[in-house]
Amino acid sequence: MNNWKQFSINGGILVLLILVPLITSRTDVLTWLYLTLVYIALSQSWNIIGGYTGQINLGHAAFFGIGALAARYIWLHFGLPLPLAVLGGGLASMIFALAIGVLVFRLKGIYFIIGTLVLAEILRLIFYTILPEADVMPMKLLGAYSLVPRYYLSLLIAVITVAVVYWISRSRLGLGLMSIRDDEDAAEASGVDTQRYKLLAFNISTFLAGLTGGIYAYYSAAFRAGGLFEPVWTFDAVIIVFVGGVGTIAGPIIGSVFFVLLKQILSLYLPGGLHVAVFGVLFIIVVLYLPGGLIELMTKFRKRTSAGDQ
Amino acid sequence: MLEVNNIDVYHGNLQALWDVSLEVGEGERVSLIGANGAGKTTIVETVSGLLTPASGSMVFNGVRLDKEPSQRVVRLGVCLVPEERGIFFGMSVLENLELGAFHKKSRKVKDETLESVYGLFPLLKDRSRQVAGTLSGGEQQMLAIGRGLMSKPKLLMLDEPSLGLAPIIVKNIFEVIKQINRSGVSILLVEQNVRIALGLAQRAYIIENGRIIQHGDAKDLLSDEQVKDAYLGTG
Amino acid sequence: MMFGLVAQTFINGITIGAMYGLIAVGLSLTFGVMKILNVAHGEFLMIGGYIAFWLFTRYDIDPLLGLPLVAIALFLFGAVFYKILFSGLVKFHEEIKMKNTLLVAFGLSLIFPQVARWLWTADERGITPFYSGGSFPILGVRIGYVPLAGLIVAVVVILALHLLLTKTYFGKSVRATSENYKAAKLVGINVNRTYLVTFSLGAALAGLAGVLVVMTQAVVPDMGMAWTIKALIVVVLAGIGSVGGAFFAGILLGVIESVSAIFMGPYTVALGMGIFLLILMFRPQGLFGKA
Repeated sequence: MNNWKQFSINGGILVLLILVPLITSRTDVLTWLYLTLVYIALSQSWNIIGGYTGQINLGHAAFFGIGALAARYIWLHFGLPLPLAVLGGGLASMIFALAIGVLVFRLKGIYFIIGTLVLAEILRLIFYTILPEADVMPMKLLGAYSLVPRYYLSLLIAVITVAVVYWISRSRLGLGLMSIRDDEDAAEASGVDTQRYKLLAFNISTFLAGLTGGIYAYYSAAFRAGGLFEPVWTFDAVIIVFVGGVGTIAGPIIGSVFFVLLKQILSLYLPGGLHVAVFGVLFIIVVLYLPGGLIELMTKFRKRTSAGDQ
Repeated sequence: MLEVNNIDVYHGNLQALWDVSLEVGEGERVSLIGANGAGKTTIVETVSGLLTPASGSMVFNGVRLDKEPSQRVVRLGVCLVPEERGIFFGMSVLENLELGAFHKKSRKVKDETLESVYGLFPLLKDRSRQVAGTLSGGEQQMLAIGRGLMSKPKLLMLDEPSLGLAPIIVKNIFEVIKQINRSGVSILLVEQNVRIALGLAQRAYIIENGRIIQHGDAKDLLSDEQVKDAYLGTG
Repeated sequence: MMFGLVAQTFINGITIGAMYGLIAVGLSLTFGVMKILNVAHGEFLMIGGYIAFWLFTRYDIDPLLGLPLVAIALFLFGAVFYKILFSGLVKFHEEIKMKNTLLVAFGLSLIFPQVARWLWTADERGITPFYSGGSFPILGVRIGYVPLAGLIVAVVVILALHLLLTKTYFGKSVRATSENYKAAKLVGINVNRTYLVTFSLGAALAGLAGVLVVMTQAVVPDMGMAWTIKALIVVVLAGIGSVGGAFFAGILLGVIESVSAIFMGPYTVALGMGIFLLILMFRPQGLFGKA
């Protein structure tokens, strides 16, 4: 009964999201939803490696950036169709992940954390240097620019990432990943090929991050290549996942909605960026006192109220 | 002098000690004996403040120890020379000894204490500038005991001082322990080597699976048939 | 002519490298003693720079005279944050402790820049005392007063720290705690207090470095991470534990950077990071494996 209820709620939300552009043409609403969906895709893709596998990858921006850059080149500069370009972005990210995966996983624990951070920084510096010019959409495309197809692309990718995470969470792969997160040595001892599992999680995660980069390649009128590798792409995803609920499906979704909402509300009264500070505070609270994030808080609350009803 | 009354101690969720009580009198030499993992180390670590008992009490010369942090326990005059010695390998022998006199009371009389420690272990004086990590096992044990004495303890607890040492060196070290005791310091000795332990102590407690199962005079225990069977192996 | 260029490059490398060394010792100290990798170290540095800027613009206090004030302010700042956020985490098992303290510091590193932007705006802030821009020649090499002052400050602070750690009881207790936590407790060291002071000292060192940065370069709210990474590179080059090691590794990095800037231009910074990653990946003990 619960499954069926859950399924219909999710289906209802999805149908609503599909209908939004038909109901309203307000660009602020669409932009807001678009942003939320991009954050869902980005944070959910990080959740696979950081949440389920417990490997705090602070270099996620590198894979978002490679995906975005590859997609942009395939689409605009090579003139191939957009779906191919977005797919190409995902593949480019994954290929890079394949190339460096074994080296990166020589690092464990906190060394993995700072190592991945520095890796993305290296790419950022390189791309700011070799591609210093802004990449601007051609006038023809800018003239016909519409938010609606961008919105649908972000919806599609967000749904794909959520579906992949859902599948992982119920698969043997997911079990293996979580056993690595809980105790890598014990997982290894009980027969999990931890290296292979970690690489697999890393590749899926980076492929999805690359797809998310593809959305941005299609959306952005102009960007500088280095800007795609800015650590903020990683950090936003990380704090969204932690605040929402690390290693859960609903966590990154709730986190993203809350993040974008807070950003909108705070920007009315305060200088930009303070939503990040608020999320930083929440992030620390989660690390110290509430490892399950908002999801845990909501479940506790629900239990308490339902207990009160009886 | 030291009274441990009915303590229960946990390592995380695992209970390590059940209802342990023991006593060490003024100037006395007492041994804790038992197999590996029986809980001997847990007892002395609890007394020294590294672990906190979940229930029960510990009193030293009228002062409650059970909630005190280790630095307070040291200041009150209880010092543990830990298992595996806990030498600061990267520091010199002298620095190790100086750190033994860390709390203010012992720091004031540091130089005199140092001379008496050098009297007990002349070797440490020769090696005082040497990095402690380069000492042999026996020398490290001497350093560990010497460092313990630097805090001017009234009760010195020693955890497996014979571990990994040649018999001749063990004999030496136990001679020194007796000498320390003669100068008025009570001794609580943890030993797996039951024969040496009972040779040194006046009284002993036998620990099994976190419980004290027997205690009495060392001489009586040495001639006890059950103890012989279980721990002395000669029958 | 050629000699002049080479010498000038080295001098520049040394003066900037001494500053790198100063930045790294604080990070190295907190990690070495308590296994807390304070990735907000660069943010502490940034705050130190802004305080010096405030002292200079509002109260007309020369940055060099302001050094002790900044050190005290950052020491207290570090103490407060340690007490509130980190002290509860140190009792955990080492791996969990390292990860969670890093995450908390990471959270701080996200918050501080936003607060700084709010307090000081996103504009670049620098300090130009009357002697800045001045320089004197030695053997055909020009040495600026400000870089020279920075070099002297770095050397003096690092020497003082070295003496503190090797000659005083407090310093010995810090080293003992870093070597063997349990044995340190057993000799009667109040490990919690040692941790508090060590962390605060690390923050104070970051603050001092911040003063040098605001004098020689400039401060902006977002610069923290770049300096944290710089400090990490130096610490990796040096290995953990020795204050002198971090200082000389800082100078090494400074010289490598100023030499490679001639050949590699903008890739210079990436080079340091590349070295960092390689050392990290190919040294089995991870970066700070004890020597």
